[in-house]
Amino acid sequence: MKKKLISLTINDKAYEVAVEPNQTLVDLLRYDLGLTGTKKGCELGDCGSCTVIMDGKPVNSCLVLAMQANGRHVTTIEGVETDEGLHPIQKSFVEKGAIQCGFCSSGMILSGKALLERNPNPDEADIRKAISGNLCRCTGYQKIVEAIKELGT
Amino acid sequence: MMRLPKFDFHEPATLDEALQMMGEFGVRAKLIAGGTDLMVNMKHQLMSPEQVVSISRMDELKGLDTSNGMVRIGACFTVADLAESEEVGKKLGALRTGAKALGSPLIRNLATIGGNIGTARPAADLPPSLMAYGAKVVLKKRSGERAVSLNNFFKGPGLTELQPDEILTEIQIPTPPPHAGAGYINLGIRMAQDCNLVNVASFIAMDGPDGVITSARIVMGCVGPIHLRAPSAEKCLIGEKPSESLFAKAGDAATGDCTPIDDFRGAAAYKKAMTGVLTKRTLGIAHKEAVS
Ligand SMILES: Cc1cc2nc3c(=O)[nH]c(=O)nc-3n(C[C@H](O)[C@H](O)[C@H](O)COP(=O)(O)OP(=O)(O)OC[C@H]3O[C@@H](n4cnc5c(N)ncnc54)[C@H](O)[C@@H]3O)c2cc1C
Ligand code: FES
Ligand code: FES
Repeated sequence: MKKKLISLTINDKAYEVAVEPNQTLVDLLRYDLGLTGTKKGCELGDCGSCTVIMDGKPVNSCLVLAMQANGRHVTTIEGVETDEGLHPIQKSFVEKGAIQCGFCSSGMILSGKALLERNPNPDEADIRKAISGNLCRCTGYQKIVEAIKELGT
Repeated sequence: MMRLPKFDFHEPATLDEALQMMGEFGVRAKLIAGGTDLMVNMKHQLMSPEQVVSISRMDELKGLDTSNGMVRIGACFTVADLAESEEVGKKLGALRTGAKALGSPLIRNLATIGGNIGTARPAADLPPSLMAYGAKVVLKKRSGERAVSLNNFFKGPGLTELQPDEILTEIQIPTPPPHAGAGYINLGIRMAQDCNLVNVASFIAMDGPDGVITSARIVMGCVGPIHLRAPSAEKCLIGEKPSESLFAKAGDAATGDCTPIDDFRGAAAYKKAMTGVLTKRTLGIAHKEAVS
């Protein structure tokens, strides 16, 4: 089992890192790069806390091998904030009370952001579908749905 | 923390290269497409290949071609793309319904149609409608290729016709003729992220808008070691005019064609009963499509 060098872009910054063949993308982000905003819950694709956006699409980073991310563009929660401070969707989550313990929030925000980029004015059903791979054990989802709906055009 | 077994990772640039590798590695290797099955199986230590060969980024495996009376879908076409494709929706509505029901948006963005077939789970969402449409899969190795009807492809849970050195490259589905239609329904516990309790796909073709049924294929998931055809239900449809009562009769017949077991997801008797209900309802959807 040899380490290999991969290059990828994370939050618009180019990285070149040596990774193990059996290392997952979530572990690369959290343990090698210190990007601990990406959470790890089930590690089996069930909870969505490890959601990142890879080449424009939200995916479970616990199911992606680091080596499969070679050459890709990855956005994590750390890349959502803008020069002007929190991204509107982050502000909306805070203002609507859509964050309680916060463990699901990175994934929820990234799934919500990816939805709004595809569909700028989603209805409640669209939103519930878009976050159906992200589990929240605190909020009961309603406030998360409202926080995303708030940003519709 | 869930640990993956140790393996070497390869990402060949072309299909030829991948075929070469699979020929060399044989049973020691596993292909990875979306990884949504393989990663979970490896984390549970149910699979521990020495070599993992990634095919998810090969353009030659991602095509969608609907010319010449055939829909050809590349093995690495993602489930998200299937769910979104208007073209697939127009020609193969039941397949698209299955794609929309699979996992979550996050899973669908990774998962591929080839992986859903390759994993050979009797609860999988895409095989029932593919079999109902009469799909074939193309299996390639260094020395040649063969096309196998999906009907004869599955051998048991996790077991298929695939040889260790073969790659499933393409799914070929005959475009349904006029006055034909198909329906798919999956019954689960929740709307997303669950494993199906029962899933059924039905296809019928008629000899005219008001005609009789000339061919029928009904495929039932979760009620046997592989996806099962419902021969007695199919037989009672042939030569008959579609009607509510005919579809109810076919539903009853289907309950005799399935062999579900009791498990933590549900009782065998319940699954049997639901197989009948879903058969009737998917025939209704198929008929509606056939006459529209
Ligand atoms: C949280 C979660 C929810 C899920 N929900 C559903 C669901 O609702 N319905 C459902 O049907 N499935 C579900 N699945 C299972 C899985 O997502 C699907 O089966 C998916 O289509 C697998 O595709 P993949 O590309 O990710 O497969 P992979 O994991 O890459 O491969 C699966 C298997 O097929 C083999 N394989 C892959 N491609 C090929 C090929 N081209 N030729 C030969 N062999 C190949 C691999 O070697 C492996 O053994 C779920 C999985 C998870 C983790
Ligand atoms: S940690 Fe990846 S989905 Fe739960
Ligand atoms: S806020 Fe606690 S899990 Fe969602």
